Amino acid sequence: MKLNIKTLREKANSFYEEKEWIKVGMATCGIAAGAQDIFNILKEEIKKRNLNIPVKKCGCQGSCYAEPLVEVKVEGLLPITYGRVDKDLAIKIVEKHVVGKMLINDAVYYFDI
Amino acid sequence: MFEKIILIKDTDLTQEDRTRTIYAFVLDYIREKGQQDRIQVVRAADLGVHNKGIVILLLPEKIIYAGLDELKIKNICDSLCNGDIPKDFVYQPKVKQNRIVLQNCGKIDPESIDDYIKNGGYLALCKVLTELTPDKIIEELKISGLRGRGGAGFPTYLKWKFTREIKSDTKFVICNGDEGDPGAYMDRSILEGDPHSVLEGLIIASFVIGAKKAFFYIRAEYPLAVERINKAISDAYNYGLLGNRILDTEFSLDVEVRLGAGAFVCGEETALIASIEGKRGTPRPRPPYPSVKGLWDKPTVINNVETLANIPRIILNGGKWFSSIGTETSKGTKVFAITGKIRKSGLVEIPMGTTLYDVVFELCGGASKKEIKAVQTGGPSGGVIPKELLNTPIDYENLQKLGSIMGSGGMIVMDEDDCMVDVAKFYLGFCVDESCGKCAPCRIGGFQMLNYLKKITEGKAQISDLEKIKKIAYAMQKASLCGLGQTASNPVLSSLRYFEKEYIEHIENKHCHSGKCSSLVVYSILEDKCKRCGLCFVNCPVSAISGDKEKGYSIVQEKCAKCGRCFEVCKFKAILKK
Repeated sequence: MKLNIKTLREKANSFYEEKEWIKVGMATCGIAAGAQDIFNILKEEIKKRNLNIPVKKCGCQGSCYAEPLVEVKVEGLLPITYGRVDKDLAIKIVEKHVVGKMLINDAVYYFDI
Repeated sequence: MFEKIILIKDTDLTQEDRTRTIYAFVLDYIREKGQQDRIQVVRAADLGVHNKGIVILLLPEKIIYAGLDELKIKNICDSLCNGDIPKDFVYQPKVKQNRIVLQNCGKIDPESIDDYIKNGGYLALCKVLTELTPDKIIEELKISGLRGRGGAGFPTYLKWKFTREIKSDTKFVICNGDEGDPGAYMDRSILEGDPHSVLEGLIIASFVIGAKKAFFYIRAEYPLAVERINKAISDAYNYGLLGNRILDTEFSLDVEVRLGAGAFVCGEETALIASIEGKRGTPRPRPPYPSVKGLWDKPTVINNVETLANIPRIILNGGKWFSSIGTETSKGTKVFAITGKIRKSGLVEIPMGTTLYDVVFELCGGASKKEIKAVQTGGPSGGVIPKELLNTPIDYENLQKLGSIMGSGGMIVMDEDDCMVDVAKFYLGFCVDESCGKCAPCRIGGFQMLNYLKKITEGKAQISDLEKIKKIAYAMQKASLCGLGQTASNPVLSSLRYFEKEYIEHIENKHCHSGKCSSLVVYSILEDKCKRCGLCFVNCPVSAISGDKEKGYSIVQEKCAKCGRCFEVCKFKAILKK
């Protein structure tokens, strides 16, 4: 579908802010640290629990030392970033954070500085 | 659900981690007050604050409290329990990142054009096509003060202006994504995390100079970046943002991706042009500059990835906004890739004028193990900056004064374990390997200088060799054809300038302080510490250790290959490295 100036501007305005999402850092630094596996596990866990939350890819956030990074936004909470995510933590993120709306110990990385 | 969240982290590295004890203390205190259902207490992994004692982050307010003890924490908890937001002990970070180029990296899905449009993408292009003329855009860029982010810092508006003013039916724009500095990967991250920003910048550049064809030149070692740029280009074609009559206007543009085969010199613009033309990637003398005679002898603009990513931001927010960030001569922000002996390696985007010290210590948490000795900026064309000078504000001119360059943005932190002669040898060796061989000063000068450095690290050099190195460096700087040769001596000269002592120590005492120069290191076994376990004997790959469990062991120096294996395996620290 070809856009023109008008339809592009309309398109830019028509999007709404999604209330819930999970983002996995999938640049080279993330993938090298195992982000692809984490991405798959998160998708699987979400499916298993019949949850309706999209798992998305994103680029490098800049904190390459803490990859793989997973950012989670659920209703009622601010976006929270988990770093050095492994299999267990990925499952916990779905269980505790997405379903239980509770933060997980020893895994939160705060970069908003 | 919890109303408030307290995140706790002990940022003091000098003693044992107290996060768990403080966590238990806060948890008990909150329970005592009966607020455990209202306030969640969490141990954080990292709060982005360093060396400030116990730190608490309060969510959803995003307030950081630092330098806390039990009494102060009780204070904070008390006001929280009363429903107030504590005002004391609030921590204000000394430096902050300012994300302009990286604003979308890690935020949007790089493979989705919709996600980019949703975040204001291609609105700058709309503005360009409807409200602005090429001359107005050049004027805006002039106001912004944007300079090329590839290293040399040439004003971007001038490049565009020169190319625009030349009359020619065919013109080209090239995005230089041939990032070759060891340890630098900003361009890769931008291409992988926000490919559409770069593409939008490229389209705007083509509009301004009147090009109908543009190229991405990306090194083949970046397969993911290439994949994502290709996806971005095909999505843009589908949306009518590329091709004939872009967004239903008179402007048309085609974009192609060309892969570099990994030659460092192809980052140099004339060599890059030769490479796109299908020729061997060697530079040619300038002038004529590419803005006059570039790709297939047509006027060509070559911009770095980061420069192009800045363009949509400047168009949308105005040149004045951009020029309000940074220093007198260097405007805007710069992305640095920090690696080496640093606690938090990664990318930081800081306003120009931030000091190296703040980047290394405040944003990246300082050295990972030992004390920092120097920071190397600018890759093989840059130099080392000793820790005494880390208070220098970063901009193009200041770094040049220190004998280094801004470069593309690689920053490698070195500590006491690094030998400066060895570092200089590494970078020079890199340039000698990557020299295309076309001009003699670079080809022969680099090789000869490397030989002198090798002699120094082997303990065979004389003091007079240092003078010879300086002479060769001068000749290379003055006579080399392109930037590679002209700057190849920078790492050697700057380390000679700041760390001459180390060179002299190598030459006169035949000693390498850090133990990096293996030929100068001698391993021996300390008999009083040796438990005669035989581990070194078993592990020595060249059988240079003689003896047995009864008689004890010793190292036969003539056979020793100085690999350090015995030093690593010995559990009793009985191997002496000198």
